[in-house]
Amino acid sequence: MWFTESIYLVFLATGFTVGFGHCIGMCGPIVISISLQLKDRPVFFPQLFYNLGRTVTYAILGGIMGATASFTRFAADVGGLQKGILVFAGILIVLMGAGMTGWLPAGRIFKNAPPVAGFAVSAYKRLIAANRAILFLPLGMVLGLLPCGPVYTAMIAAARTGMDAGTTFSGMLAGAGVMACFGLGTIPALLLLSQVSNVKWLKHRDMIYKTGGILMILVGVFFTWKGITY
Amino acid sequence: MRTYFARIPQTLIMCIMMMLISCLFAVCSGSAASAKKAQTECNIHEGACSLQLTGRTVALEISPRPVRAMADLTFRVTVSGPPLSGTPHIDLGMPGMEMGPNRVNMEKTGENTYTGNGVIVRCPSGKTTWRAAVTVPETGTAAFVFDVVY
Repeated sequence: MWFTESIYLVFLATGFTVGFGHCIGMCGPIVISISLQLKDRPVFFPQLFYNLGRTVTYAILGGIMGATASFTRFAADVGGLQKGILVFAGILIVLMGAGMTGWLPAGRIFKNAPPVAGFAVSAYKRLIAANRAILFLPLGMVLGLLPCGPVYTAMIAAARTGMDAGTTFSGMLAGAGVMACFGLGTIPALLLLSQVSNVKWLKHRDMIYKTGGILMILVGVFFTWKGITY
Repeated sequence: MRTYFARIPQTLIMCIMMMLISCLFAVCSGSAASAKKAQTECNIHEGACSLQLTGRTVALEISPRPVRAMADLTFRVTVSGPPLSGTPHIDLGMPGMEMGPNRVNMEKTGENTYTGNGVIVRCPSGKTTWRAAVTVPETGTAAFVFDVVY
C-alpha cells in the first residue's frame, strides 16, 4: 500500500508542522483576507476549497517533478511565473483590504464596476459574491504557485521519488503523492486560522474591521514588493 | 441549544488539532538524541569549512562556488581519523525557520571523503542564511552556518 511508505507520512507530518509556522506567515494574510471578506457568510467550505485548490496544484507540481526527476530544471522555467503569482496575490490582498475599509473608493468601484473594467474586476466581484464555495478552488490552485521554501523542499523530495521510480508514470504518481500529502498536511493550520479570524464580534467592530483592511493593504503591498524583487 | 450543537464540530476539530500538536512536540522533544553537536559560522564561498567534533575534524565543501540557491550543488564531506562504520548525511535547513526535510545522502568517494548532490532552496522572505548539519556516524553532528547567493 503506497500510503504506508514512509516518505508520504514524512511529508504529511512536514506539511502539518510547517503549516503551523511557515504557512500561517505566508498564506495567513490570504486566508484572513478571504475570511474577513466573506463577512456574514460561512467561511469553512470556501476556505476548505481554497486549501484543496492549493493541494491540487502541489500534486500537479509533484507529478511534474516525479516524471522529470529534476527540480532545478523546473525552478529555472517557472521562476518568472511565480514572481507574477506573488505580485497577483499582493494586488488581490490590497484590493480585498481596500474593499473592506469602505472609505477607500475600491469597495464602491467594485460594486459599480463598468463592463470595461476588465476581467480582473469581474472575477474579483464573482469570487467575493460567490455563494458556491467551490469557486474558491481555482483561487487556491493559482495561489498554490506562490513561491515557498517548504514547497520547494517537498518538490525536491518529489523529484527524488521520481528518480527512484521505475518508470516515468510511476515517478509521476509517486511525486504527486508526496506533494499531495504535503498539501493535505498544511490544511489543518490554515483552516484553524480561518476559523479564528472568523470571530463574529471582531468582524462587526467597525474600527477593528477597518484597521484589518488597512493592515491587509500593507501586507498586500509587501507581497507585491516581494514579488517584484523576487 | 441548536447553535451550541452547531459549534461542537468546530470545537472538536480545534481540540483534536491541539492534541495532535502536543503529541508532535512530545515526540520531537523525545527524539532529541544525546549525540554530540558543534556549530560554526563560515564563508562557504571561499572554500571548505571545518569543525572539531569528538576528536575528528569534519570539513564541508560545496561546489560550484559561489554557492547559489535553486541550483544543483555537490557537497563533499571529509572526516579525519579512523574509518567510519557508515556514511554521513547532511540535513539542510534555515536557522529559526522550518523548511521541511531536505537531506543530502552521501556516498564514499575516497578514504575519508563522502560526496552527495543536493539543492538549497530559496526562501521568499529574502533571508539567505542556511545551515548544513553534517551527521557523522558514531561521532555526532557538525553544523555549518553560511550565507548563500540568491
